[in-house]
Amino acid sequence: MTGGGAAVRMEWTKLRTVPSTAWSLLALVTLMVAASALLLWTLGGAACGTGCDPDLPRLSLGGIYLAQLPVVVLSVLAVTAEYETMMIRTTLAAQPRRLTLLGAKAAVVSAAVLVAGLVGVLGAWAVGRSVRVGGYPPVSPADAATGRAYLGTVVYLGLVALLSLGVGALVRHTAGAVTTVIGLLYVAPIVGQLITDERWRSRVERYAPMSAGLSVQATRHLERLAVAPWRGVGVLAVYAVVALLLGAVVFRVRDA
Amino acid sequence: MTRTAPSAPAYRSSVGTARDGFVQILRSEWTKVRSVRSTVWCALAAIGLTVLVSLLTSASSTTDANSGPAFVDQFTFVHQRMDGDGTFVVHVASQRDSQEWAKAGIMIKENLTGGSPYAAVMVTPRHGVRMQAGFTTDVAGSGAGAPRWLMLTRSGATIAGYESADGTTWHHAGTVQLPGLPRTAELGMFVTSPNGLRVTKTSGGVSTSGYATVGTAAFDHVSVQPAVPQQLRGWTGQTVTDDGAPPTGGPATGTFTEADGAFTVTGTGDIAGYGIPSFQAGDDDIVANSLSGVQLGLLAVVALGVLAATAEYRTGMVRTTFAASPRRRRVLVAKGVVVGGVVFLAGLVASLVALFAAQPELRHNGFRPPAYPSPSLADPTVLRAVVGTALVLAVLAVFSLGVGLVLRRSARAIVLVIALVLVPQIVAAFVPSLSVQMWIDRLTPVAGLAIQHTRPRFDYAIGPWAGFAVLCAYAAAAMAAAMWLVRRRDA
Repeated sequence: MTGGGAAVRMEWTKLRTVPSTAWSLLALVTLMVAASALLLWTLGGAACGTGCDPDLPRLSLGGIYLAQLPVVVLSVLAVTAEYETMMIRTTLAAQPRRLTLLGAKAAVVSAAVLVAGLVGVLGAWAVGRSVRVGGYPPVSPADAATGRAYLGTVVYLGLVALLSLGVGALVRHTAGAVTTVIGLLYVAPIVGQLITDERWRSRVERYAPMSAGLSVQATRHLERLAVAPWRGVGVLAVYAVVALLLGAVVFRVRDA
Repeated sequence: MTRTAPSAPAYRSSVGTARDGFVQILRSEWTKVRSVRSTVWCALAAIGLTVLVSLLTSASSTTDANSGPAFVDQFTFVHQRMDGDGTFVVHVASQRDSQEWAKAGIMIKENLTGGSPYAAVMVTPRHGVRMQAGFTTDVAGSGAGAPRWLMLTRSGATIAGYESADGTTWHHAGTVQLPGLPRTAELGMFVTSPNGLRVTKTSGGVSTSGYATVGTAAFDHVSVQPAVPQQLRGWTGQTVTDDGAPPTGGPATGTFTEADGAFTVTGTGDIAGYGIPSFQAGDDDIVANSLSGVQLGLLAVVALGVLAATAEYRTGMVRTTFAASPRRRRVLVAKGVVVGGVVFLAGLVASLVALFAAQPELRHNGFRPPAYPSPSLADPTVLRAVVGTALVLAVLAVFSLGVGLVLRRSARAIVLVIALVLVPQIVAAFVPSLSVQMWIDRLTPVAGLAIQHTRPRFDYAIGPWAGFAVLCAYAAAAMAAAMWLVRRRDA
């Protein structure tokens, strides 16, 4: 039994029986919802001064900055944990087709993240809807831009999972892979704040995976975005595909 | 029949018994850290990434600060002519706190054209008494504000300023030379107030705009010695401007009223150039920007600190360590010292190289003197930023070590530290409230990076050493938790 279906079932068993999977997915949902409530709370009172024009759906999805961290851990560990325990040799003995195996891992992990991400995003929407901020209409996904923001965030999480999985297969070392993915995601936006040249700043926002990918969350002032919403998700997808391809090549040619 | 085996001597190790004193533990920890490949990789990555990102930020930052005027000269002047040497005394009864660098005082000036040489002694609302001259010289007097007695004496080209609390006991504020000052010069009281800064929160950051402020001050007990016949002309009020045109953009041009020898003067603008603290041609902190690469470099440092703890737990080496030196807390202290020391040295290399490697590109992009003087290690604030960057990385490594010792697993420890260090900076820029942003910058470990600041800026939330103390508190808390748990848990 070495078909794709068997590989998927095998990976699913491994994923669901490790306690850290449940914890990571729970953290994803909790952080999405809790951070959303906190961020909307900062809008209350006189804190938001004149000229402040908040993008409510985006604010309610602000939990993504924290919530993607458990996704990175979960997806990296899906590969690297097997190298730490040498379980990978047993796995490869059972399923010698390595690309099928990596594909099964990617399918199982991204499916789990997409489902949990959907739950988290729905939670964030519920919070955004119930928290009434003075003067703003409640967040409604019926609005095309808002629907895109919520749906795009789920897709974003799935792509982050694939990117992390690819880097995990490439690096094979938990700490190294987690650090690499976090560096890829977080450093460009922070360094971008320090860049004074507008042209360079928009370049960073256009080509950095997190800034580009999260432009899908914008529902206002779309003309100010460095990259159009879905196109930004495409930028992140390119990163994920490249990481997966490199990971697949290394997974294929290197000894376990 | 029993046979006894020939009695062989019991085996004894030829290795002598070793002590597990602190020095020995330190040495064993140093051996472990240095002989692990990941330590070397992390230290090199910290240096390389820091320098690389610093170069990228400086290559993509530009300024035109030097293309602006080199000085501003705009104020309300209530003046008269003075012939030759003399002494001028006034009492500044009050000054409105319109801006921290609002100026009210007395001045001797070559003529009424903006930009002509002057010497002045003045009070400010927040920076005490100052003696200033020629748009470049600034001497700090006492920290007192209005009410204050001020005195200027002229003797040839030498102008001396004095201040007093009561008009009888005088303290020297400063002496300046104005070579070429004509025998007849303008003497008088002046008031001015620089622009205020309005900070607004925008999506993804903060932006600033200037707005005009109006300074007001009351003068009395005005006396000029020797009293000259021309004084019969009395005092004339005038707005001095750079280009002779009345100031624009301000809510009102200067006014003055006189009643019973007491004057109330209002004015807008500033008298300042490079060297006068209120003059801000460019507000970028180029030292902090040159060191911004630590934002990426710190990732490698976090990995190093966490791995120093978790790698031993993963391989089970930690049991050997604790068998060799059962006093576990000592082992943790030794680990902290070694990890902190290694990272400090790597951080020092990184910050020195980053700072100086970034300078040519910054100069090329317009960050040149006079608006942006070249940073020098002789400047204590620059030295603090450079050494402080290494200190911040070292303390961050110890914090990561503590978190690693508590959580024992690399992935979750790294993610927790990153969630505390990097994520708040992004969220801070993202929240719509400025005060929430400021509190995030103050309360998260990233406050430690405030030690890189070398000039005051509107978006700096916390002082350099206070910010460093916040980071140290996080590290101390993590290490304390690790010390407490290491005795209570199996290895």
